[in-house]
Amino acid sequence: MLPPLKYHLQTVRVRWRSTLATLASIALVVMVYLLVQSLAAGLDAIATQTGDMRNLMVLRRGSIAESSSLLTIDQIRTAKHLQGIAKDKSGAPLASVDTLVVVNHQRRDGKSMANVLFRGISQAGIELRQQVQLVEGRWFAPGRREAVASTKLRDRMAGMEIGNEIKIGADKLKIVGLMDGQGSAFDSELWLDSEEAKGLFNRDFYSSVLLRLEDGADQKSLISRLDTDKRLQVRGILETDYYREQTKTAGPIRFLGNFLAAVMSVGAVVASTNSMYAFMGKRTREIGTLRVLGFRRRTILAGLLFEGVCIGFCGGLIGCVLALPVHGLSTGTMAFESFTEVVFHFQITLTLVARAMAFAVFAGLTGSLLPALRATRMPVVDALKSA
Amino acid sequence: MVSIRDLSKVFYRGGQPVQALDNISLDIPSGEFLVLMGPSGSGKSTLMHLIAGMERATQGTCEVHGVDVAKLDESSLADWRSRNVGFVFQTFNLIPVLTALENVEMPLLLTKLSPARRREMAEAALDLVGLSDRAAHLPKQLSGGQEQRVAIARAIVTDPLLIVADEPTGNLDAHSAQEVLELLQALSHEPGKTIIMVTHDPKAAAYGSRVLHLEKGSLVAC
Amino acid sequence: MNIATFIIKNTWRNKRRAALTSLSVAVSLFLLTTLLTALRELTVPPEDVGASLRIAVRNKISLANTLPAKQRGNIQKIPGVALVSPLTFFGGRFKEDDGIGFAQFGLDADLLIGIFGEANLPPEQFDAFKKDRRACLVGRDSATRHGMKIGDRITVKGGIYPCDLDLILAGIYYGTIDDRNLYFHHTFLDEAMGNWGQVGTWWVKVKSAEQVPEVIRAINATFANTSAEVLAETERSFQLGFISMLGNVTAFIGVLSSVVVFTLALVTTSTMSLTIRERFRELAILKALGFKNGEIAAFILAESFMLSAAGALLGVGGGWLLYSKMSVSQATAGIFPFFEVTPQIAGAGCFVAVILSLISAVPPIISACQLTVVDGLKTLD
Repeated sequence: MLPPLKYHLQTVRVRWRSTLATLASIALVVMVYLLVQSLAAGLDAIATQTGDMRNLMVLRRGSIAESSSLLTIDQIRTAKHLQGIAKDKSGAPLASVDTLVVVNHQRRDGKSMANVLFRGISQAGIELRQQVQLVEGRWFAPGRREAVASTKLRDRMAGMEIGNEIKIGADKLKIVGLMDGQGSAFDSELWLDSEEAKGLFNRDFYSSVLLRLEDGADQKSLISRLDTDKRLQVRGILETDYYREQTKTAGPIRFLGNFLAAVMSVGAVVASTNSMYAFMGKRTREIGTLRVLGFRRRTILAGLLFEGVCIGFCGGLIGCVLALPVHGLSTGTMAFESFTEVVFHFQITLTLVARAMAFAVFAGLTGSLLPALRATRMPVVDALKSA
Repeated sequence: MVSIRDLSKVFYRGGQPVQALDNISLDIPSGEFLVLMGPSGSGKSTLMHLIAGMERATQGTCEVHGVDVAKLDESSLADWRSRNVGFVFQTFNLIPVLTALENVEMPLLLTKLSPARRREMAEAALDLVGLSDRAAHLPKQLSGGQEQRVAIARAIVTDPLLIVADEPTGNLDAHSAQEVLELLQALSHEPGKTIIMVTHDPKAAAYGSRVLHLEKGSLVAC
Repeated sequence: MNIATFIIKNTWRNKRRAALTSLSVAVSLFLLTTLLTALRELTVPPEDVGASLRIAVRNKISLANTLPAKQRGNIQKIPGVALVSPLTFFGGRFKEDDGIGFAQFGLDADLLIGIFGEANLPPEQFDAFKKDRRACLVGRDSATRHGMKIGDRITVKGGIYPCDLDLILAGIYYGTIDDRNLYFHHTFLDEAMGNWGQVGTWWVKVKSAEQVPEVIRAINATFANTSAEVLAETERSFQLGFISMLGNVTAFIGVLSSVVVFTLALVTTSTMSLTIRERFRELAILKALGFKNGEIAAFILAESFMLSAAGALLGVGGGWLLYSKMSVSQATAGIFPFFEVTPQIAGAGCFVAVILSLISAVPPIISACQLTVVDGLKTLD
């Protein structure tokens, strides 16, 4: 025989004052967990959404990031003409020779500066990166000091509207178009012609080469040929793999999220145990009465735990609702690999919500376990006598 | 010592006025052991509360030793209580975390006495109720009768002229009740002490020097 | 017995409740301490003696772009400049899988002490460093962590530059704001790079503090409209530039801290009020005995203060103890090299605890004062 569900729900409603602390603390933990983890998820999303499986990136051997890689024209020429590289209509290898320059640029707020990645590419570079779409204006024309910025960059940085000119030393770079990287790392970049970037920024070297592999080409053997060539001193990596490895920045954020959630959950469980104890103290006689009426100890215990679960669930829901508004908001931070600012979105994924809710329910359950056990273990007669 | 004139008290319970005391006049001379009896809701407790300065009257005067208790404000009333009244409750109301001796000493914390003097006085009061050997016990380690005797010691430790007892034997067995009543009776023989006790129990009432009956807020003759 | 013993006994009467309440205060204050410490480390560049006389000169485009070595002569000629040294971040890796590890810088060995005078180093080690072009100096923190001894060979694989450095440890310094870095001869890097004629940054020591703004202006003007424009700034604003690059993350942690403090206040207030509400019967007895509202309020306040104080001791003190014993640097892969709970942070934690105890005492004080003696006794009989 179970005490009616309504009894428990009613109790939770009536005792709202003492429940409030528990509810608030669980909601807070869930909210903070979601906020921080959605940052990490946003950074992760960039890593998984950037690149094309068919592209091979060639970097200087030993370099950690594309922006700190240096390649000579000889190295590039050798890499381009390897067996297994796709050709364009004219029969030339489908490749983009990139020159990456980190440029300190003013933010939109006009006060602070951020490092922006300027990527010089060959004409094929646009074709190789299908996920980047031109949304306004036109692509840059080589030799005319033109560039295309991502819309997200335009939103965060000063002077990146179409028609604006960016001053670089004595030269100027004109923005002629806006592109959208669809959530990829390219959303944090400004593109221009590779040769022009070399000239503008006095570079002697290129940074990397992006190659399109032929359909059915043996990726592994191609990569190992690059990696083991003693004379060439380069390394090859699939473009998608390269971006998946760029997770250094998300790591500390995820750590922070887990740390906060862990410590705060201790607080939440303590708070909920505390208020449950106080509340059970007041209900001892009531519980004694239920038992005299014939309810079994186990069913009463289950009912009390159910109350805890309810509170946990409600707290979790409140936390999710509180965290939800940040979903999709765009923000930026410095990536540790390239020392440039990456633009990304808070992403509250279903997995995160599920994890947070599971936690909330668990915290509610844990918080009510000890007090409920104590209340139901008391002999019936003592329970009835207690004030 | 207590002089009551036209004393009335009206409560509002759920918006409805309840006449707890209706125009009572009464004199209680020094040294009396007055017993108030009557059914529940007759106003006996209210009368006692008013005399002891725990509540304020709606109308009338209540002079205790020349001070009109009904006219004092909250804070002066508290002061006045701490110096002039000793309380004994039905449920003892000892502070559970303090030992018997510490409970007795509690009211003395409101005085400017030295700690040594406070202790001395508390020991004397505890000795008077015959519980010197239980000084270090916590209330839960005492029997009901012993607890009530500690409460009496607490009531007399400041040497008040007025002691009020609200059903002091209500929670006690016959033997303990007798001990407590004898103790109160003995106290009433001390010079200048006045004792007012509320009870339901005719046997307990027999220990008083005068018994008054209340009904519906008025005194009735027996 | 006196009032104090009464309060202490009362506070701990329900040991479980008192312990849980203190614990929830402790957890929140621990969190607050941690966040404040992290925030401080992210936003405040450590104060440094001698820093006020130093100017950092970098490529105007960004720190990642180098400067021509031939600028040195021009800078040296500017009035007010005492010393000029190149300082190039090598960005190499000492061991694989070492997280961020430690940074390596090439500089003019002769000028190390002249410019970065706060480094403590035995003179004979400094001489040995100056004499050998392959020599390097390592901060004591890194030396201890990797078990380095003087005379050891240290190989650093290039991450930014296409060359590896094969160095010999000549000395171990200490006493700077960051005793982790490795310093080597810039000339050694020049050789390895085939005399490329570039440097990462210039570091300039100015003769007196009054001349700093003028020297900064002069350096910026000297290279304006050349192919390598520079940005000269004080060491402090150079470091603040790094922090600004972290972007919204710092603001985010700030917001988190305030949310935590707010909820902490809410939760603690309600638990403490709950604890005290249980004691209304006794408050009524005390009132009957003649204790006044002021005294009752003092009891409640003292009790909530004790609970808070115990929480603060556990939370702030525990945090301080934990972070001074544990190597946070190692746990966070070098992102937080110091993680020091400063007296200011501990003070802030304790201040919050005091405020909390005040706030949580208010609701029970109000209801206790409204309670009449008779009602107090009646409700509980």
